[in-house]
Order: sequence, then structure tokens, then C-alpha cells
Amino acid sequence: MPVPLLTDSAMRTSENQLTSMTADPSITVTVRDLRKHYTVHEKEPGIRGSLRSFVRRNSRQVHAVDGVSFDLEAGEMVGFLGPNGAGKTTTLKMLAGLLHPSGGQVRIGPYTPKERRTGFLKLITLVMGQKQQLIWDLPAYDSFLVNQAIYEVPDDQFKATMHEFIETLELEQIVKKQVRKLSLGERMKCELAAAPLHRPRVLFLDEPTIGLDVNMQVRIREFVADYNRRYNATVMLTSHYMADVTALCNRIIVIDKGRIIFDGDLSRLVEQTAPAKIIRLQLSTPVTVEHLASYGHVHSFDGLNVELKVPRAETTRIAARLLAELPVADVTIEDPPIEEIIGQMFSQMRAEQRDQAAAGEPASVA
Amino acid sequence: MRPRRYFRLIMLLAGASVSAQLEYRVNFLVNVASSILASGGALFGLSILFSDGQRVGGWTYREAIVVVGLFTLVEGFIATFLQPNLSRVSEAVRTGTMDFTLLKPIDSQFLVSAREVNIFRLSDILIGLGLMLWAVITLHSATPWGVALGIVLILAGLVIVYAIWFILTTTAFWFVNIENLTELFHGLFGAGQFPVTAFPGWTRIVFSFVVPVAFITTVPAEAFIGRADPARAVGAAAIALFLFFVARWFWKFAVRSYTSASS
Repeated sequence: MPVPLLTDSAMRTSENQLTSMTADPSITVTVRDLRKHYTVHEKEPGIRGSLRSFVRRNSRQVHAVDGVSFDLEAGEMVGFLGPNGAGKTTTLKMLAGLLHPSGGQVRIGPYTPKERRTGFLKLITLVMGQKQQLIWDLPAYDSFLVNQAIYEVPDDQFKATMHEFIETLELEQIVKKQVRKLSLGERMKCELAAAPLHRPRVLFLDEPTIGLDVNMQVRIREFVADYNRRYNATVMLTSHYMADVTALCNRIIVIDKGRIIFDGDLSRLVEQTAPAKIIRLQLSTPVTVEHLASYGHVHSFDGLNVELKVPRAETTRIAARLLAELPVADVTIEDPPIEEIIGQMFSQMRAEQRDQAAAGEPASVA
Repeated sequence: MRPRRYFRLIMLLAGASVSAQLEYRVNFLVNVASSILASGGALFGLSILFSDGQRVGGWTYREAIVVVGLFTLVEGFIATFLQPNLSRVSEAVRTGTMDFTLLKPIDSQFLVSAREVNIFRLSDILIGLGLMLWAVITLHSATPWGVALGIVLILAGLVIVYAIWFILTTTAFWFVNIENLTELFHGLFGAGQFPVTAFPGWTRIVFSFVVPVAFITTVPAEAFIGRADPARAVGAAAIALFLFFVARWFWKFAVRSYTSASS
């Protein structure tokens, strides 16, 4: 779930400024009016539905990606956000050359991804948090050697990269154990090390931290930031965790139903659409809801655990008051989860549309 | 430069595959036992068929053993090199890890074909070879030219088997679960443990041209026992080449439609 992250954001700003100064203009990503339509087969539930669809399939056109355009500069780190099924993975797969677009263009450096030329494949990598490429019964190091051979990485470069990855991801104890004996987090770290062994210049990361605990998420973020800095690599990242995005990316692209609905500065989006922060309290003795309501909007309450929504600008002041005036055992302050921010963005959009449709009617923004 | 890279990769992948299997030791004994039992069973079947000293389809018992040996060898080839790789293809399509294969800067057909070696079934190949050698030597009818041709024809037979198996596997891109298809192939290929001339006329045509089982076992066996039919030898080579290119084309077609259609 969402992670409190106040200190990292300051660090990452200076990192990104550094990379943009040394940017190599040659590897840019250009996406123009990208589309992907495909046909899905639908099945009614139960054996009857199965039999019916076995005989005659019911199909329907889905516009998974519906006219997406953006540019990425070399060395840029971009968060790609949107609800499930918004078209994030489909877009990433088209950028990686795994899916042929139904329309529009993608250029990465001098290449068109769908041609999947050797030069292009050596330039990119794709990490999918839900899928694994490591050999299950062997130590991860064996898989690294296989990738070395496939990508034709010279021995000295391989050793240097390996040394560096082992250090940043703290892999020493892990790379020699069979993959099947590793924990989910350890395995993900190895997956992440296997993907950019050939030092690609463009990284597509699809949910690289899914299911991992906070420490592991932080470690993986550090690795990505480090890689980006070292090789001036362009990174496009999708994640359900706000903290991943806030720690790594200045710019975010929000997609919904196959269309881009926001492309720009992260802080602008958060301040615009989520003018509130959440203060989570654990109390040592119960307090009444009425009393709590004087500090801010009570988001959830069950006697000792309280979630308060407070205006962003006043967070620090209110937190100090809470600590001074209430029997607080523990306190955390965080941004609302990304789903909530995006959800809010959608309801604002809909409200605006409603406003335009029927002027004068008051719009309710939750 | 290029062939060396592929050779190095084959050795690396085979090494990885072998060390992965050594994690499961009991498997080895089970596999050796099962291949001894299987070829023992085939020999027993033949001995009943030939028990009154007759020839079946123009083949004596000893000559038919060459066919059984070849059959065991080819089965071993399938079990060692084809089955473990190609059953992974349908799994990779189902779980989506095929994406990783397609992202690698190397020929994807090579990568899916060379990934695994099931060393525990190498015993089949050895048993098959031994059986064949013993029968050929005790028959005294082999000629040097026949043996050389026989070896070439075995290679052609292996290419045919690979191509057919690979074509069936490639259908996994559409059907996803292809276990039944490979079972069907196994069923038809089972006919290869008998000389094709032992079958009635129309089935001979099926086994030569529909599923070219005859070219996999009977035709090389004929060469080994000094009865090579030049026309059939040329036919075997032609079919091997043809099927190989069909398999190659079909794979490329499948990858193209996978990347243009799936989500």
C-alpha cells in the first residue's frame, strides 16, 4: 500500500537535473497517434455459456489504445499511470515491439519497434513484474550468463555491470541460490538485474515493484534511479504505487480508456487534483469523531485507528497540533493512493463536462 | 563469428538445462528403466509377429530389429531434444513469457528449440543405437556405402521429425494447449516401429506422404541392411528440406500474427 515518502522527492529532483544536463539527444522516443484495436471473444458464465461460445464465438472490438502521442527525451524518467485496463501494458508492448500497432507511429532512436531489429532489441529492455524470465531451477547467475551470450556482452563489460548491479541491489547472497528458493522480493531483484545486463538505453518497467514490501520497493527504486543516472537511460514506468512514481519521475502521463488525459509535471497533478494529504493516526485512548472532525475531514475511524484528510498546505501545522493535543501512539502522513488521485481527476473531468452541458448546475467534487 | 556464437549459446543452454535436471536425481533411474522396458516390449511384439520364421512385408526378424533400433533412437531424440523445448512453447504462450523470447536479439526459433536438453532420455538414443548396430553387424549384409547413406538418411529423418513436431508446436500460438496434437503425432509415429511395407497398401501411402513416418525409420533401415532404394533416399532428403522450410515459414508467420493480434 502507499508508502510515506517525504525525503526521497528532494533527492530525485537533483538527480534528474543532473541527467538532463548530460542528455544524449540521439535516443528519443516519439509516439504519434498510436492505436491498438483488437477483437475479444466473450463467454457467458457456466457450462452452457462455454458450449455456446464453443460453437459460435461472440466477438467485440476493443480500442485498447486509442490515439496516444508523446515524446520522451533521452534520460527522461516518466511515470505512466492509469487504472487497470487503461492501456498501459498494451502501449508499453507496442513501444517494445511486441505488439504491432493498429495505427500511428513509434520511433525509438533510429528504429521502428515492430521491426524488432537486432540493434533495437539491444537498445531496450522490458521488465514485467508479473512475469519471470529467470531459469527456475538454477541460480540467477546462470540466467545472467545466458543473457550475456544472447546479447553478446563482452566479458569485461559483463563483469563490470554485474559487479555494479550486485552492489546496488545487494545480491551477493542471492545470485548463487536457486531461483525457486528465493523470496518474491529477492526474485524480483534478480529479474531486474537480468533485464538491463546489456546496458540498454531505454527501459520499460511494467509494475516492477508489485507485491513487494516497502524496503524492497525502495531498493528497486534506487536501482532504477542509479541506472538512469549512470547510463543516461530513458525510463518509462508503470506502477500502482504512488511512491514509485514520486520517487523517480518528474513527469507523468495518465491514460484512461486508451487516451492520454494528463501529461505533465507530477507536482502539478498532485496539487491540482489531490489538494489533500492523509494523516493516519494510531491513538492510545479513544477520541470522539466530533472532536477529530475539528482537525480535518475524518476519512475512516474505528476507535483507535483514524484517517484524517487535511489540506495539503496545512498538513504540518495540523500534524503538530494532533501530536500535542491527542494521545497519539503513531502517526504517518501520506499522499492519497494514486487510484484515488486519478479517480478524483476523472470525477472532476466528468463534473466539468456536466457543467459545460448544463451551466449553472453545481458540480459536486468528492 | 556467427556459428561460433550459436554454438557457444547451445553449450551454455545445454549446460544450464543439465544442471537444472541434476536437481532431481530420481528422475534419471526412472527414465532409464522406462526406455529399457519400452524397447523390450517392442522386441517382444516383433518376436511374436515373426515367431514362425516367416518374413513380414519382405523383412526378416533380424532386419526388422534395425527398424526397432532406429525407432527407439528417434524416440530418444524426440524425448531428449524436442519434447522438453517444444512443450515449453505452449507454456510460454499461455503464461506470456514468450514475450521475453521475442525481445531477445537472436533468432527466436533457434532460442525456443535449443533451450532444453533432457539428458535422462539420452539412454533411449544409446539403446536404439546399440540395438541397431547389433542387428546390422550380425546381418552381414551391410555395405560401407549403405551405412554412409544410412547415416545421412537418419539425419534427414531427424530433420523431418523436428519439422513436424515444430509445426505442431507452433500451432500453440492459436490453440494454446496442444498436448492432444503432440499425442496424435506420437500415435501416428508409433507406426514407425514396424517396417512400412508390413502395412497394407493405402496406409503405406499415408505413412510416406501424409505423415512421413516411413522416411524416418524404414528408409534409413533399408540403407543399413544394404537394400537402399535411391529414389526413396532422394525423396527423404527432399521431404526433409521441404518440411524444414515449411516449419521455418510457419514459425515466422505465427510470430507475426502473435505480435499483431494478441493483447
